[in-house]
Amino acid sequence: MNETKWYVYGIVEAEPLRMDVSGVAGAEEVTAVEHQQIAALVSEIETMNPDRSEANVRAHNQVLKQAMDQGCDGTVVPMQFGMVFETKNTIENVLRHGRRAFVQALEQTEGMIELGVKIIAHSDASVDRAAIVASVEDELDRSSETVAQNRMFSDRLLINRSYLVERSNREALDAGIDRLRDRHEDVTIQYSGPWPPYNFVDIQIGASQ
Amino acid sequence: MTFLIDDLLIRPFVGFLEIIHDMAIRELYNLEDIQDELKENRLLFELGERSQEEYELRKSQLEAQLQEAQEAHEHLRGRARVIE
Repeated sequence: MNETKWYVYGIVEAEPLRMDVSGVAGAEEVTAVEHQQIAALVSEIETMNPDRSEANVRAHNQVLKQAMDQGCDGTVVPMQFGMVFETKNTIENVLRHGRRAFVQALEQTEGMIELGVKIIAHSDASVDRAAIVASVEDELDRSSETVAQNRMFSDRLLINRSYLVERSNREALDAGIDRLRDRHEDVTIQYSGPWPPYNFVDIQIGASQ
Repeated sequence: MTFLIDDLLIRPFVGFLEIIHDMAIRELYNLEDIQDELKENRLLFELGERSQEEYELRKSQLEAQLQEAQEAHEHLRGRARVIE
């Protein structure tokens, strides 16, 4: 029995929306489920448990990036991967009960993007971690609104941070990264984004799915 | 050790060996360690220090380990519910 389920990517300010996508679990379309000026970006899928594969996780992220680029005033509150609901009605209930938190998150991240910075030591190098941290803070902190310290999942990582940046300040952060690359040729700098503000919204959905 | 003693005081009906066994499972199946290694594997691949083949092989090993670990934790949670 293949009943329709509802996969939620993120929350936006309500506006009529329909996007052709390569979405999670083979979804080809994203639409909006609206409730009182906010909306969930959703795809209809056939499972409650989409495979946590690299392809699906990438598709989740790609849809959010597409939404940021195509409309939604550039602001999307992202959901974590894997939020599936049995009915459209349940999503409307989530929007109703979480409205205050969603609106607050939309306001806090309006016009903002997330950019990621990882600095990695070369495999045989001995690097002064404190000096790297100091110059990162010197070059990047002033161009961003907030910084999130992410998990140091490898001994090779010297920095793993995410920056919440005004869209208009993106070039200032880019320039900071260029200067860091010039100052520290003995490390690899991975600079990624723009992403939806994954590391700057923390909304737990506790409704029965 | 404090954890062990507290646990025994709170749940004296749980056998000492059972707790040691549970701790060993938690240690062996540390979800965060496996997730960290998955991310590190990806990072080394992106840096060109691991070939596509090495990356894919290690990834599938770690994903299998993660699946096993999640099942072990589910099992422990199920048993905790029974004890409650």
